[in-house]
Amino acid sequence: MSTAIALPETLDLKASGPLKQAFVERRGQDIEIHADQVRRLGGLCLQVLLAARKAWAEDGKPFSITAPSEAFVETIRLFGAEGALLQTELQGAAS
Amino acid sequence: MDELEAIKVTFFQECEELLADLEGGLLAMQDGNDDGDTVNAVFRAVHSIKGGAGAFGLEPLVRFAHVFETLLDALRSNEIPGTPDLTALLLRASDVLADHVSAARGLGVVDMDASAAMAAELKIATDPNAAPAPAAAAPAEEAAAPAPAYVDAAAPIVIGAPQSDIGDGLDDDDLGFDFQPMTITLDAQAADAAVLDGNVWTVSIRPKSDLYRKANETALLLRELSRLGPIQAALDDSAMPALEFLDPEAAYVTWSVRVETDQGEEAIREVFEFVDGDCDLEIVRGEAPVADVLATLLDVAAPAPEPVLEAAPLEIVAEAPVAEIVVEAPVEAPAPVVEAAAPAPAPVSAPAPATPPVAANAPAAAAKPAQIDVPGPGQSVIRVDPERIDRLIDLVGELVINQAMLAQRVGEYGIAPSSNLAMGLDELEQLTREIQDSVMAIRAQPVKSVFQRMPRLVREVANMTGKQARLVMDGENTEVDKTVIERLADPITHMLRNAIDHGLESPEERKAAGKNPEGVVRLAALHRSGRIVIEVQDDGKGINRERVHSIAVKKGLISPDLQLTDEEIDNLIFLPGFSTADKISDVSGRGVGMDVVKRSVQALGGRISIASRPGQGSTFTLSLPLTLAVLDGMVVDVAGETLVIPLACIVESLRPKAEEIRPLGPVGSVLAVRDSFVPLIDVGLTLNYREHSPAATEGVVLLVEGEDGSRAALVADAIHGQRQVVIKSLEQNYQQVEGVAAATILGDGRVALILDVDAVINLRRREPPRPADPTLIAAE
Repeated sequence: MSTAIALPETLDLKASGPLKQAFVERRGQDIEIHADQVRRLGGLCLQVLLAARKAWAEDGKPFSITAPSEAFVETIRLFGAEGALLQTELQGAAS
Repeated sequence: MDELEAIKVTFFQECEELLADLEGGLLAMQDGNDDGDTVNAVFRAVHSIKGGAGAFGLEPLVRFAHVFETLLDALRSNEIPGTPDLTALLLRASDVLADHVSAARGLGVVDMDASAAMAAELKIATDPNAAPAPAAAAPAEEAAAPAPAYVDAAAPIVIGAPQSDIGDGLDDDDLGFDFQPMTITLDAQAADAAVLDGNVWTVSIRPKSDLYRKANETALLLRELSRLGPIQAALDDSAMPALEFLDPEAAYVTWSVRVETDQGEEAIREVFEFVDGDCDLEIVRGEAPVADVLATLLDVAAPAPEPVLEAAPLEIVAEAPVAEIVVEAPVEAPAPVVEAAAPAPAPVSAPAPATPPVAANAPAAAAKPAQIDVPGPGQSVIRVDPERIDRLIDLVGELVINQAMLAQRVGEYGIAPSSNLAMGLDELEQLTREIQDSVMAIRAQPVKSVFQRMPRLVREVANMTGKQARLVMDGENTEVDKTVIERLADPITHMLRNAIDHGLESPEERKAAGKNPEGVVRLAALHRSGRIVIEVQDDGKGINRERVHSIAVKKGLISPDLQLTDEEIDNLIFLPGFSTADKISDVSGRGVGMDVVKRSVQALGGRISIASRPGQGSTFTLSLPLTLAVLDGMVVDVAGETLVIPLACIVESLRPKAEEIRPLGPVGSVLAVRDSFVPLIDVGLTLNYREHSPAATEGVVLLVEGEDGSRAALVADAIHGQRQVVIKSLEQNYQQVEGVAAATILGDGRVALILDVDAVINLRRREPPRPADPTLIAAE
């Protein structure tokens, strides 16, 4: 089973709760995250993404971030989280 | 001072590794692998030692390392060609460097004359045209430089002269950390300082949940920071819980950011003005002293200090409120250490007291996050006080005993094996075993740490005895319990000495015998049937059995008319008071004979054997248990006593039929097992538990295999089952008992002896009449 999440434009304090919920509900499935709309990514949502990434890795399920917006990539790099999130994105894009 | 001392301890630990790398690299070069990587690695090892030593003001070490490093630098930039002579010189220089490190550590002294001579040789090798040293006395032994250089020498040697003074002052340096300006290392240190420029800052950001609640954002802070100059953020999410337990509005992730900016601390602090109080912050300029030392020490490969720098402050930040940080953090301290090149001795006293308790924790803290984005060797290593691990192992041992007792008590109540209680106990047993395995794995170490000392030993012994020897090592990564490793060094050292001194012939003799004048000594470690085996093999002349026999007779060790097999003659050299050297040499004959080696090996529950072929060499084989802590054993009853037989020795157990037992000689008997005969040994009789052995058919027979592969059938009265037992040393608590390897505590609290199977077989062999030799019987 596979599923997808489209990330909203703004990933701030208000978005972190719903984002976590969305991941928890989809646990155990292959997941594809559409990040093309993202214009702002905050620290809390970054945490959710990192935690989800770990959870999916533990489950051994594919976790891919597709077509990330420039702002998304830039912020991830700023956070020093490219190792955890962007590599996956690249793998996802390649497949 | 204690903190600095702790870092110093780390430094010396790292030095050991660096020296090993150095020697390993040089040996590789000696074998012809002098590619750029190897030379670079060798250079870095010396450079790192120098850097760390500089931070601690260990001047003689720094000076020598500097001369050494200069030569290596010339070599790696191809200014001078690599030759076998040069490699030999470098190897000897590495020995002197090792001596300097030991001396700085307070272990032994450096022969300053030899050191100065070596430094002079290195200088000449670096630049044969430079004004050479007047120290004509010592260096003459080396042919690395043109001979006239020594004669023409007029200018006083820079290195040699001050060193004798420094040698005297070394202890003061060592204890008092009396930082002195380091003139000799000026250029090198200055080069370092250029890398560690003041434009680099490390900012540790630890946002609190309030920061986000107030609609502030770390991303914005990082972006603001990036306006000051290039930044590189490393995040630490180790505190973050699993997804399902994650509070989406709480802050878990922290950052360590390296900022390169020409603006001051104020500018950085301003970025965080709006989140004051909602974010723990620490700003450290450039390379803190601790970080600097560690950068040198932890990351040999990376000259740039970023990884450690970024990581180190994380630990510091935890409790410290923003205002206090600048005071506590080693921001001010770095100057004297980092910029040790600066001649001004003013800040000399600052570093030690200014370094907060942070320092002690820094190595571990620094090492971990650094591995996020910077590759490098040895970064994920935690250094733990071995005592803590020993304590843990003791406790786990007690846990094993306790678990066994519990199982036994429960067993006494006759509870069904399928009951929940019994199943729970089984699980407990498995868990206990896993814990034990894991704990033992912590203490397991490759024998490399012992092996790496041996190349030098071989060089020295070969020099001293006038032999040519090459050491070949194999299986350095074989792992064995640390307690065993520590006690391996002496026997190996002695066996190697023995192999070179007594085993190898002189180059002339070898040539005459049609051999390569350079003898080969092979040192190997391997695992074999649950034990570690160390082999020391030489391609020398082998044991002169006639001489060994006649010496043993002359010394009254054996009676002249005793007929011995070749193997038995070889083993005579293990007898106390046996020495075959015509004259007592410097090397082997220091009153420590092979008998001492044998005894120390036996004390470890090990065995030593020898195989020799005339003209082709000898092989000493040392076999030791992998651990001295636990053992899988078969619990048996013998004459009312409970004994444990190591499972590793047992091939099978069986109940013999009367027709399978054949008498042999007046008292002996053998057992037919499939198509061979093996001697029957009544354990009770051998250990003097009883006078007469009952019929073997009434008991159980355990077919065991000795270290040398010989088999025997041990007779016991009954088998209780297999159990993991915790070994308690008899030697430590009582004394060695022949036929008994150690003792253990059983589930019911009683002490049981652990059988030394080989010893039991040998005890039986020695008894008159002559042993039931398995090969003889098989031929029957």
